[in-house]
Amino acid sequence: MQPTHTRLNAAAATDDVLLEVKEVKTHFFTDEGVVKAVEGVNLSLKRGQTLCVVGESGCGKSVTARSILRIVPPPGEIVSGEILFRQRDGRTVDLAQLNPKGREIREIRGGEISMIFQEPMSALSPVHTIGSQIMEAILLHLTVTKQEARKRAVSMLDLVGIPRPSETLDAYSFELSGGMRQRAMIAIALACEPQLLIADEPTTALDVTTQANILDLIADLQQESGMSVLFITHDLGVVAEIADEVVVMYLGRDVESGAVDAIFHDPKHPYTRALLQSIPRYDSRDNKRLYSIKGTVPHPFDRPTGCPFHPRCDDFIAGQCNLIDPQRALISRDHSARCLLYPTAAIHNPDEEPAT
Amino acid sequence: MIWYIARRIIYLIPTLLIISVIAFAVIQLPPGDFLASLISKAEETVDQAQVDALRERYGLDEPIYVQYWKWISGIITRGDFGDSFEWNRPVSDLIWERLGLTMVISLFTLAFVWIVSIPIGIYSAVKKYTIGDYLVTIIGFIGLAIPNFLLALVLMYIAFRYFGQSVGGLFSPEYIEADWSLERVLDLLSHLWLPVIILGTAGTAALIRVMRANLLDELSKLYVDAARARGLSELKLLFKYPVRVALNPLVSAMAWIFPALVSGSAITSIVLNLQTTGPLLYRSLQAQDMYLAGSLILLVSVLTIIGTLVSDILLAWIDPRIQLQ
Repeated sequence: MQPTHTRLNAAAATDDVLLEVKEVKTHFFTDEGVVKAVEGVNLSLKRGQTLCVVGESGCGKSVTARSILRIVPPPGEIVSGEILFRQRDGRTVDLAQLNPKGREIREIRGGEISMIFQEPMSALSPVHTIGSQIMEAILLHLTVTKQEARKRAVSMLDLVGIPRPSETLDAYSFELSGGMRQRAMIAIALACEPQLLIADEPTTALDVTTQANILDLIADLQQESGMSVLFITHDLGVVAEIADEVVVMYLGRDVESGAVDAIFHDPKHPYTRALLQSIPRYDSRDNKRLYSIKGTVPHPFDRPTGCPFHPRCDDFIAGQCNLIDPQRALISRDHSARCLLYPTAAIHNPDEEPAT
Repeated sequence: MIWYIARRIIYLIPTLLIISVIAFAVIQLPPGDFLASLISKAEETVDQAQVDALRERYGLDEPIYVQYWKWISGIITRGDFGDSFEWNRPVSDLIWERLGLTMVISLFTLAFVWIVSIPIGIYSAVKKYTIGDYLVTIIGFIGLAIPNFLLALVLMYIAFRYFGQSVGGLFSPEYIEADWSLERVLDLLSHLWLPVIILGTAGTAALIRVMRANLLDELSKLYVDAARARGLSELKLLFKYPVRVALNPLVSAMAWIFPALVSGSAITSIVLNLQTTGPLLYRSLQAQDMYLAGSLILLVSVLTIIGTLVSDILLAWIDPRIQLQ
């Protein structure tokens, strides 16, 4: 085992790490072949913090989120890796080992880890009231009577800023606006005070003003409850606003991870740099064309050899990048990148790195 | 809701009037009339004076709109559907019991089809592409492919040969002409299974496919994942969300069962010797017995419309997305 791993294990042992995802691979076994949607992703989330997972469409962000909750749709399966989650009672459980239909994971879902989705319209049942869905979550995880569950549901709707909460409780999703639907989704997700909220592009389907409101709401609720948030987005503006830590994903793996300042001000991986350059800036004076990353994300069956980013990389080193699969190189204590530009030697003695 | 139903019932009146006109017109379309077909079948030559007398008696030489008016005003004011030429009896004497039996068979068949096909459809969708799914699919397609009358013949043979049951018809011989009594009802029920299975087979096979397809669509919806992410168990999840939504189209298809059973299953009913409206309609059309045929078509249409109304009301009740305004 490599020294890196021992170091990461040591971090998992400390109390403030809530979730640790290690080298998780989730593959989809389709008739046409195996789609390696997630191919070795690592992330670690501390209690009370917000971790943003960013990347282009199809880079495995959502599948990573679904893997954590074990709701990867068939024919997808987690083939290897660990998902260590620190439960409320202090036990650490490897979610990747649980039966996805079993009681243990079901108690974690909704109770300790909740998820909100990209499209609040389709994530709410078309034929059930909002109240029925909130109360369902409450009655599943808390020992309360129906009246108490209803009361709690009303106070949750009030908490997420829905006007006339007791009326909205009996409303159907199609009777609410997009922003209200997402608020209702958040109310359902937070009804049992989870330790971790997974937000899978929760604002993508909303207009900009509503988007800002929802982000503020999540931040406020996080402040009050001390929960951790795993926020999946492709919007770097959102990342800058809410993230403590950032993981940049490309083709199913983390290519760079670190604190939000490090990622924005000192990006190391060429992909991260390219992503940051392709943000349109309103204050740019010159008439230059907006930078865009050359090429497109490769077809899932046609995964490049070596570093998966090499066909699109500006810093491509022939004979190296297309052959060697880069390991994680530590740039500093909490900042790592998977790129051959950075000496893997750093991995081997991370503690001595400042001295070299 | 009450307004919705009331409005729907008011809409029925013009619909029914139009249907009655069309039904009557269609029956008049073929060349000739009842007397012409009677004469063509008669073995001895018919006296022209006698034919003219009959023609006048039945009002066949009057213009078509006068005939229609006589017929429809009789129905509305007196419940009189006219006389059947062939049977030489009032139409209403002929049809009510048959219509009642048809309804009984229809409802039992509907129940049979739903009870069998919904669980199988759910199983087939949840276990998609497993051996069980393929098996159910094969059986379903065989059921769909076998003509009902053929199935009727086979099952009648089996019932007669191995169970010694009197086959054909809805009653044992001693009850056919008897008055209604508890024994006669029980006798009816003991004969009912055969036609219900036969008439329901094709419908069951079709509905399994519909249920499977509907449910497959719903199973991959995000709200199912969202409910799963709340920690709901797979079985509760299945019935509370996707199955519930997948049932909506089945409710709207409920209205079709009446016309299908009344007119579509005539051949099976003839084979099974069922005293339902199908064979009666078939014969009356052959004989150009226009008041009987017209009345049957009208009543079948009324049943269909009522079936549609009932299924619309049910649908509005189970699916909140349907706006009642």
